[in-house]
Amino acid sequence: MNDRMGAWRRRHVLGGFIGLAALGAPAILRAAPSGQPVKVGGTLSLTGFLAQTAVIHKIAAEIMIEDINSRNGFLGRPVEYVLLDDQSKPDVARSLYEKLITVDKVDLIMGPYATAPILAAMGVAQRYGKVMIQSSMGIPNLQTYDMAFPATPFGPEPDKTYPNVILDAMASLPTPPKSMVIVTSKFPSAQFMAKGMRIEAEKRGVKVPLYLEYEAGNRDFGAIAARVKEANADFLWVGSLGLESNQLLEALRKLDYTPKTSFHLYPAPGPLALSPDGNLVWCSTFLEPDEPFMSRPGMKKIAELYKERATKANLPYAIIDAQAAGMVAAWQILEAGVNGAKTLEDKQIAAWLKKNVVTTVYGPTKFDGLYNHGEPAQLIRQVQDKQWKVVWPKQFVAPGVKLIPT
Amino acid sequence: MPSATLLGQALISGVLAGGMYGLLALGLSLSWGLLRLVNLSHFALAFLAAYLTYELGTTYHVAPWWAAAMIVPVMFLIGIAQHWLFDKFKVNELASLLITFSFAVILEVAIQLYWTADYRRFETHYSTMSIKAGPFYIPVLELALCMVAGVLAWGTWLWLRKTYVGKALRAAAEDADIAAAYGVDHKKLAYLLSGMGAAYAAIAGTFIALIATLAPTQIWAWLGVVFAVVIIGRLGNPLGALLAGMLIGASESIAMAVFEPAWAPVVSFSVLIAILLWDPEWL
Amino acid sequence: MADLLSVENLSAGYGRAVVLSDVAFRLGEGEALAVLGRNGVGKTTLLDTLVGVTRRFTGSIALGGREVGTLAPETRAGLGVGWVPQERNIFRSLSVQENLTAVARPGPWTLDRVFRLFPRLKERRQQSGASLSGGEQQMLAIGRALATNPRLLLLDEPTEGLAPIIVQELLAALTRLLREEKLAAIIVEQHAQKILPITDRALILERGRIVHQSDSAALLADPMPLERFLGVTGR
Ligand SMILES: Nc1ncnc2c1ncn2[C@@H]1O[C@H](COP(=O)(O)OP(=O)(O)OP(=O)(O)O)[C@@H](O)[C@H]1O
Ligand SMILES: [Mg+2]
Repeated sequence: MNDRMGAWRRRHVLGGFIGLAALGAPAILRAAPSGQPVKVGGTLSLTGFLAQTAVIHKIAAEIMIEDINSRNGFLGRPVEYVLLDDQSKPDVARSLYEKLITVDKVDLIMGPYATAPILAAMGVAQRYGKVMIQSSMGIPNLQTYDMAFPATPFGPEPDKTYPNVILDAMASLPTPPKSMVIVTSKFPSAQFMAKGMRIEAEKRGVKVPLYLEYEAGNRDFGAIAARVKEANADFLWVGSLGLESNQLLEALRKLDYTPKTSFHLYPAPGPLALSPDGNLVWCSTFLEPDEPFMSRPGMKKIAELYKERATKANLPYAIIDAQAAGMVAAWQILEAGVNGAKTLEDKQIAAWLKKNVVTTVYGPTKFDGLYNHGEPAQLIRQVQDKQWKVVWPKQFVAPGVKLIPT
Repeated sequence: MPSATLLGQALISGVLAGGMYGLLALGLSLSWGLLRLVNLSHFALAFLAAYLTYELGTTYHVAPWWAAAMIVPVMFLIGIAQHWLFDKFKVNELASLLITFSFAVILEVAIQLYWTADYRRFETHYSTMSIKAGPFYIPVLELALCMVAGVLAWGTWLWLRKTYVGKALRAAAEDADIAAAYGVDHKKLAYLLSGMGAAYAAIAGTFIALIATLAPTQIWAWLGVVFAVVIIGRLGNPLGALLAGMLIGASESIAMAVFEPAWAPVVSFSVLIAILLWDPEWL
Repeated sequence: MADLLSVENLSAGYGRAVVLSDVAFRLGEGEALAVLGRNGVGKTTLLDTLVGVTRRFTGSIALGGREVGTLAPETRAGLGVGWVPQERNIFRSLSVQENLTAVARPGPWTLDRVFRLFPRLKERRQQSGASLSGGEQQMLAIGRALATNPRLLLLDEPTEGLAPIIVQELLAALTRLLREEKLAAIIVEQHAQKILPITDRALILERGRIVHQSDSAALLADPMPLERFLGVTGR
């Protein structure tokens, strides 16, 4: 579909100059957007506590901009990403977006990473009537601005839908877990999911004997581990970020306790997959470099490029995953919006996006639901042989892969 | 009410985790208490040592104790170099806070440039080993950390109390001008102490590499709690620093076991405020 | 006899304020000098300048023939200048014994000998400096200076503000130091009658200048200058 759309776009833009001959135009003509560049402004948390995520997004964005420019740019003009560092601070993000719009006079904006900076940027976007696409806001109901669009398919109510995906997967096990310990960071998007998980689990008859919240940046998991061990439930659900899952599992092992089955919300994927404690654990995802995702348009090339650049940037985990894919999808949506609406006018781009379906690395994506969200597609992956494999729901599982019970 | 096993286990892991607070507090307490320099870059130096331990361990397969043997002397020299700057620019207590803060930020950026902002984890086979004692488990690595911290704190305490240099340092800390008039060359001693502080940071760093998560911003994660520990333990008192570390670690852990884990960060500051209000003689 | 200390043309003060001007005197080995004068005439400033903690503007200070006026206090201490400051300034956070050993240098004045001179200090050796009485603090300050084994001892009003019984005890100790041990010393005092008997020479300061210099014995015999510059009789 992307290829067909590309051809269509090509025809349209070149049409004024060389007529319909562009249908079979040689590569040199296709790959040369020209004129004043279209400036797209945005921030990422290149420094500060979110910095480990920024490199991933930056690489993904750079790949996408090259990709877009190798086709036709935006309306035949090359795309330029004006990227600033928000230092992981919402207030810095707010003033930088203000600056991008008023001083740098960017044509379009691209959202930052993580809920807090996104909310800060969204306020500015709303004030200036700019379309804002973001890839990582885990709490959709906070996205109240009608020209903000999510690039990642959380769906409008992931705190209701995703726990049921997990509960379905649990029910499919040979001995379905009857009790669940929930341990979560108080980081807003994790806490939001944990609360939903508790409600949905109890609705479906899974007991929650222990529900614990810890402060983001918690240093010592010894006491939490002791409580998890004592509760000894059939299933452990961890609302973790970064390396918290590794820390908790290590603390549990120091108590000679291995949870029967555990789920981890937003852990750093590399360290958990490689850790001896990580074997067969579950985790949330939207995409892995495997079938059926690799057959999606452009995905193979993007995955390869990502691996190459991430390795070059000295990233320990150089495999594309949902985080990088979110940024890829965000640019795909912006590209489709601009070239679909045939304008850089934010209002018309927003209107076009609401009426159309965009195919991204996450598949066909719609924006016609609550909070501009479409269908949810949050999945479960499992560490198998130190690799992440999507294991649930079944339609996203690669041939030959199965959810392995523990 | 939590079970006795849970409480006991929480106490054990808390005290052992507090050993790390104490170890980090040690160097900080010495330079603050005896040189009147608040060295915020202490944490950055510890993390630099941690990253070096990680690098040596993962890339060159150097055992952490050999890594420490290499890093500690280098850090000692870095500490001396750092003091040379303080000395040259006649840095006072407040200025030291600002200058070492900048040092720390520069080191953070340097670490991020080389090792990226991504999380690093130094996996070792003993990282999750523990000894079983009745119903309790004692993690081996944390135990080793506490023993090292104990030896260092005790040794430093004795050194300050029993040696000429130690006593001269304490005298100079109280009144540098008077001490100088009695022949105490506290400038030379200050170099020695700065070197020691950095060497202690390196030792803490080796354990951080083995126990904790490495990320450049983690440099700041320990700041608040370790400052509380330094103050509760009394400036310049190595044994006090270690005991205060264990006290805070234990209180945090018990709070996590009995109440809500999310209360843990509040605990260290509550203990600090309570002790400041109580204002005991030893403070 | 060669001079132990020779001060010439000395002027000193604080910041830009000149307190001492054109001070000159000599002190032989084993001699004791009394420095007399009213409040605020610059007695402390003189001792502090010898120690090296004020600002010296001009003049020379030679100790055993070597110019020390340009040296740092810690270097002068190493060359044998021992100081008992007017404020005593003992190290309050150190114990009595630590106060003595922290600055000790090898020589005849060992810890034991200091304790023999001031038995009270021995009793309180483990106590912290902060817990001492005024008299004990003064003993500790003197003991601490002795522990550095000085060639020249500078004492700034050692009996100031102390109970008569303690003053007696201190004077007895000073008599031993100065008369029996023959330790070279400069003693600042406002009460001339207390120290003239145990010193060899005396000088009187008035507004930062030396206005009288003579043997102590002569001053005791003819107290006219005392009456004139201090407003007291020699008795
Ligand atoms: N730190 C200082 N800064 C500025 N002026 C000072 C300082 N100390 C003393 N002075 C001044 O120098 C002069 C001499 O003071 P000094 O302390 O030497 O007198 P003194 O003879 O020791 O007096 P006292 O008998 O009261 O001890 C005084 O006018 C005093 O105000
Ligand atoms: Mg005086």
